[in-house]
Amino acid sequence: MPDVTTDVRIRPLDELDLNGIVRINEKITGAYEPDLWEKRVMFYTRRDPGASQVAEANGKVVGFMLGDCRAGEFGLEEPSGWIERFGIDPDYRGQDLGRRLFDAICAHFKAEGATSVRTLVDQNDAPVAGFLKAIGFGESSLAALERKL
Amino acid sequence: MALKVENVELPKKYHDAVEHWHRHNFKDYDLLLKYWDKYFPKDDQFCLCAKMELGTTDVIQIGEQKGEKKRLKPEEMTPEQSGHLLAIIKAQASTEFGSIQQHAATVDRAPEDEDKFWTMRVMAEELRHGYQMLHLLLSEDWSSVSGGVTGEQMVEEILSMTTGSHVLDAFNLDYDSYTDNVVFAACIDRVGKYQLTMQKVCAYKPMADSMPPMLREEAFHLAAGVIPMRRWAQKAAKGDVFVTMRMMQHALNKWVPRGLEMFGDERGGDTNVNFGFKDMKNDEASSLYHEELRKMIRDINTRYIRARFPDYTPEKTEQVLDELERSRGTHHGLAWTDLLRLPDKRFFRRKGVHAFQMVGIDGEPFTDVEDWLRYLAANLNDGYIASRDMKLYAEALRSVVSGEKTPAEAIKSMPRLKRVGGTCPCSKGVRWVMEDADGGQTTVAVR
Repeated sequence: MPDVTTDVRIRPLDELDLNGIVRINEKITGAYEPDLWEKRVMFYTRRDPGASQVAEANGKVVGFMLGDCRAGEFGLEEPSGWIERFGIDPDYRGQDLGRRLFDAICAHFKAEGATSVRTLVDQNDAPVAGFLKAIGFGESSLAALERKL
Repeated sequence: MALKVENVELPKKYHDAVEHWHRHNFKDYDLLLKYWDKYFPKDDQFCLCAKMELGTTDVIQIGEQKGEKKRLKPEEMTPEQSGHLLAIIKAQASTEFGSIQQHAATVDRAPEDEDKFWTMRVMAEELRHGYQMLHLLLSEDWSSVSGGVTGEQMVEEILSMTTGSHVLDAFNLDYDSYTDNVVFAACIDRVGKYQLTMQKVCAYKPMADSMPPMLREEAFHLAAGVIPMRRWAQKAAKGDVFVTMRMMQHALNKWVPRGLEMFGDERGGDTNVNFGFKDMKNDEASSLYHEELRKMIRDINTRYIRARFPDYTPEKTEQVLDELERSRGTHHGLAWTDLLRLPDKRFFRRKGVHAFQMVGIDGEPFTDVEDWLRYLAANLNDGYIASRDMKLYAEALRSVVSGEKTPAEAIKSMPRLKRVGGTCPCSKGVRWVMEDADGGQTTVAVR
C-alpha cells in the first residue's frame, strides 16, 4: 500500500505523464491502453496546452483531468471549457483531488475567456455522475441525443 | 485557443523576407497549410506572426533590479544588460531557423504521413518563433549596443545562417535519418522549454511577453518527439527489424551532450540571473534537464518492457526495470543494455566543465584516446561518425590529450563555417569563411 498521506501537487499535463495516466486507467478499468492515451495526450497537448491537469505525489501521477477550451461548436460561439476524461488512482481517492483538478482546469478556462464548463456523462455511471454533481455540474438546456444506426 | 495574446506582423519587407526564406528552407510549408485541417482538425490555423502575451506582470521578478518596473526599451537597460540580451535574442533566433534547416533534410523519410505532418508543424512553429525574435530585434533600436549594426543587418545575418554557421553547436549538426528529427524534438526542444520557461521572468518585458505563446507551442514539439519514441520502443520490443532501441540510443548519444551544452558552462549563468533575464543559473537548469531526460527514458523503457512481457502488471514492470537498473544484468533474455540509457553528464562533451573528458555513456572512464574514439564510433550512428563534426572533435581531443592544447584552448579552436553576404540562396555572391579562435577568417569557398 503506497503512502497516500504525502502532499499532492496539481500541475498542467505534460508528455511525460503518459505512463501515469495509462497506469491509473488500467487500475480503474483493467485495460492497458497506451495507444489510446498517447492519442488523447497528444490531442490535448497540441489543442490547448496548459488546460489539462495532473495530480502528482512523490513524483508519480495519481490523478488526471483532460479537457480544452473551444468555441464555434454545436452553435456555441462563446468559448466554453470542455472536460473529457478524468481519473484518480484508487489509492488516492477521498482526498478531494478531483475537485482540486477541476478547480485548476477551470482557472485555465476562465483565463481563456470561458464563462461555462461542459461535459457529457453516462447517467448509468453513478460514481462519475455523483462526482460531477458534487463539483457543481447541473442540468443544461443542451442535451446529448443519440440514435442507433 | 488563447485569448490573451496580441498577434503582430513584421513590416512587409521583413515579413516577405521570412516568407522567401521558408520557400528555400521549408519547401513543404504550403503542403502543411493545405492539409492542416486533416492532421490537426479544429486547431487554430497557423499564423506566421509574433504573439505577445497580454496581462503579464510589469515588475522585475529577479536579480539586481527586482521590484522595479520592467524595461520596455533597450535604452532603459544598461549597455551591458542590453548588449547581453541582444546576444540572447540573436542566439534564440538562430536556433529557431537552424532547427528548420536540420528537420528539412530528413523530414521526407518519416515512416508515416502523420509523423511527417507532426514534424512539419514543429518546423512551422519554429519558424514563428524565429519570426518572434526578429520582431524583438526590429521593434526597437538596438544600434547603441550592436556596434552600429542595424536591425536590417541583424535580420540578414540570421537569415543567412545555415547548418554549420549557427550560434549553438546543436544546430550545426546535420540529421542523419528521421530518427534525428524525433530524438531532437524530444531532447533539444526540451532545452528550448527550459530556456523559454526561465525567460518568462525576463526584465525586458517584450521578451517576457514572447515566452508564454512559444512555450504553449513547445509542448506539442516535445510530444512529437516522445510519442514516436514510445511507439518505436513498442515496435522494437515486438521484434520489428527496422525499428530498434539501438538506433534511438545512438541518437540520444548524439543529442544529449549537445543539449546539456546549450545551457552554457556549468560554472556560469550568474549574469543572466543578476540582470533579471532568467531565473536559474546554468548548472541548476542543466541538472533539472538531465533528470527530466532520465524520467523520459524510464517511461520509454517501461513501454518497451510492457510490450515485451504483455502479461506483466505495471508494478511488476517497475520492479523489473528497477532490478535491471540496479544489477545491469538480464531478465528472461532482456539485457539492461537492450534498454535505453541516459548518457552520463560527462559523456562526449566539448564545452563546459566536462569538455574533452573521456567518459562513457554509463560513466566509465577511458584513458586512451584511440580506445575512446573507437568506443564513440561504436555508440554513434554511421552517418554521424563519418561527419566533419566528428573529424574536428577528434582533432581537438587529440590535441588536448597530447598536452598541445588545454581544454579551454580546444573549445575555442573548434572552427565554424560562416556564410557571408546574400540573405538568400538565390544570391550569387556568397562567400564561405572559416572563423579562427582569434576571430580571424579564411575564405574556404566562393560561388
